[in-house]
Amino acid sequence: MLGLIRPTEGSLEVCGVDVAADPIAVRTRIGFMPEHDCLPLDQSAADVVSTFGELSGLPPRAARQRASDVLDLVGLDEARFRPIAGFSTGMRQRAKLAQALVGDPELVLLDEPTAGLDPGGREEMLALVARLGSFDISVLLATHLLDDVQQVCDHVVMLDAGRLVISGDTGSLLERTGMLHVDVGPDRELLIDALAQRSVVASIVNGLVQIQIGDDADTDLVRDLVADLGLPLHRMAARHTSLDDVFLDRAQRTGGS
Amino acid sequence: MTGAVYDRGYRPYEGVRGGRRSARAALLRASVRRALGIRREWRQKVAPFALLGIAVVPAIVNVGVRYLTRDTPAEGIEFLSYRDYVGVSNSLLVFVALTAPDILCPDRRQRVLPLIFARPLTGIDYVVAKVGTMASIVFAFSVIPQLVLFVGQMLVSDDGSLRYLRDNADVLWRVPVAAGLLALYYAIIGSAIASLTSRRIIAGASIIGLFLITSAVSAILVGPETHDGRELAPPAASTIPVEGRQAWLVVVEEDPSAAPLLNLAGLPLVLRDVVFLGEVDSDHPMSGLANGGLLASGMYVLVVGAGLATLVYRYREVDR
Repeated sequence: MLGLIRPTEGSLEVCGVDVAADPIAVRTRIGFMPEHDCLPLDQSAADVVSTFGELSGLPPRAARQRASDVLDLVGLDEARFRPIAGFSTGMRQRAKLAQALVGDPELVLLDEPTAGLDPGGREEMLALVARLGSFDISVLLATHLLDDVQQVCDHVVMLDAGRLVISGDTGSLLERTGMLHVDVGPDRELLIDALAQRSVVASIVNGLVQIQIGDDADTDLVRDLVADLGLPLHRMAARHTSLDDVFLDRAQRTGGS
Repeated sequence: MTGAVYDRGYRPYEGVRGGRRSARAALLRASVRRALGIRREWRQKVAPFALLGIAVVPAIVNVGVRYLTRDTPAEGIEFLSYRDYVGVSNSLLVFVALTAPDILCPDRRQRVLPLIFARPLTGIDYVVAKVGTMASIVFAFSVIPQLVLFVGQMLVSDDGSLRYLRDNADVLWRVPVAAGLLALYYAIIGSAIASLTSRRIIAGASIIGLFLITSAVSAILVGPETHDGRELAPPAASTIPVEGRQAWLVVVEEDPSAAPLLNLAGLPLVLRDVVFLGEVDSDHPMSGLANGGLLASGMYVLVVGAGLATLVYRYREVDR
């Protein structure tokens, strides 16, 4: 995508520029954050980021200014004069994001930005990534953590071993699997039998009754049944499908065919 | 505006944006800083400036001696000619062996290369910037002592500074040309070897090793006659110690040989002689060889070309 590898076939356009024809023009518009450690260890974050700013075509003075702005943005303002070798994984990830942003790209490619981060750091990183959109920077996030995708992405393209699994808006993908989870205490079998009589499929998952529902009418039906049977209704919620489910579902189907 | 507290404001960059040229210049600036230890801890600064200091010492000594002996009858002795002073200092070689790996290997080892090539520049720009860094520093290191020598000689000259300047004006172009050839040569060889490995120590040792081995091999090829000549000491054969590190390349004048071409350490010195004298120095084993100067130039082009080819090949594309 950066024009580093010659395409075997097909063509690719990034920000309106054909990559194969003009890789240099594409690279001035893109910021890249690789998955692996990639920063020179014996230089300070400020030096590294401003050098990469200059490499992106900024004049030295502007590069230094922007380096300090961007390091502020990613929360490394106090550590910026320390050598990268002393950074924790979280700080390195932030520094890597900073160098991707320093050239004010139209698009950033992030490869596993949350790799190696603790839950707190991960949340902060994702919040940061989510904010990039409001700076008019598009984000292409490559990750195997679908939770991350669910949290920050508008559009998902899933690949399995190089083959397209599914592609679509995150929201629409999540709506497709409708499941209801109901907690009615120990007498769950009663509810399942009652549902079976009305030809509604239900099963027990993790002590909850999981019910396949079509629309709101089904939800109403379940509610009424529970009331009729005199069962305690502790909880009733639409099951939050995750992209993991979508992926497993689809990958199995495409893999099986 | 709840987000205002956290929003420290992202300002898009509106100013001018350079392309390949400015990226190359930026890489060169960063590498020069790195090579000289600027913005690095003091330990990194010691080596380059110590080596520069060593390179200047002979000039200062020479000027000082000239000054002290200006009134004695022995005046006018030049301990050091400008020609001898080009490339005579091993400190340059040590500097190349230390620095070329230092500006190339970590980029590969710490996997900075993918980041660099995600910027608007190509592998060739990278090679140009890195070789340019080495060449310009080696050039500066060889020219600065010469400048010290020249200005010093000018000031202590009995005949007046301007007269000295007029008499020695040719040095002003010969030194930069010879030093430039030498700098480019060292820079390309050093960078080419450093590009082959991600380990600095291996690269540094290989650079020194290459120069030592090639000069040893060429000495062996030249050698036998030399020893005969020395042992028998026939009046016709004069044995001349060659200056600097090649003092052990003792040869018989009457028997020119092309073997010194293999001496990669000595090659730029032959070219230097060609620049200064218009021919191979009469002290050199290649002296008397037909077209010796041309042969040496050809060898130079060959070595530099091979080095460049290696570099371009090693940085043609980076997919990791």
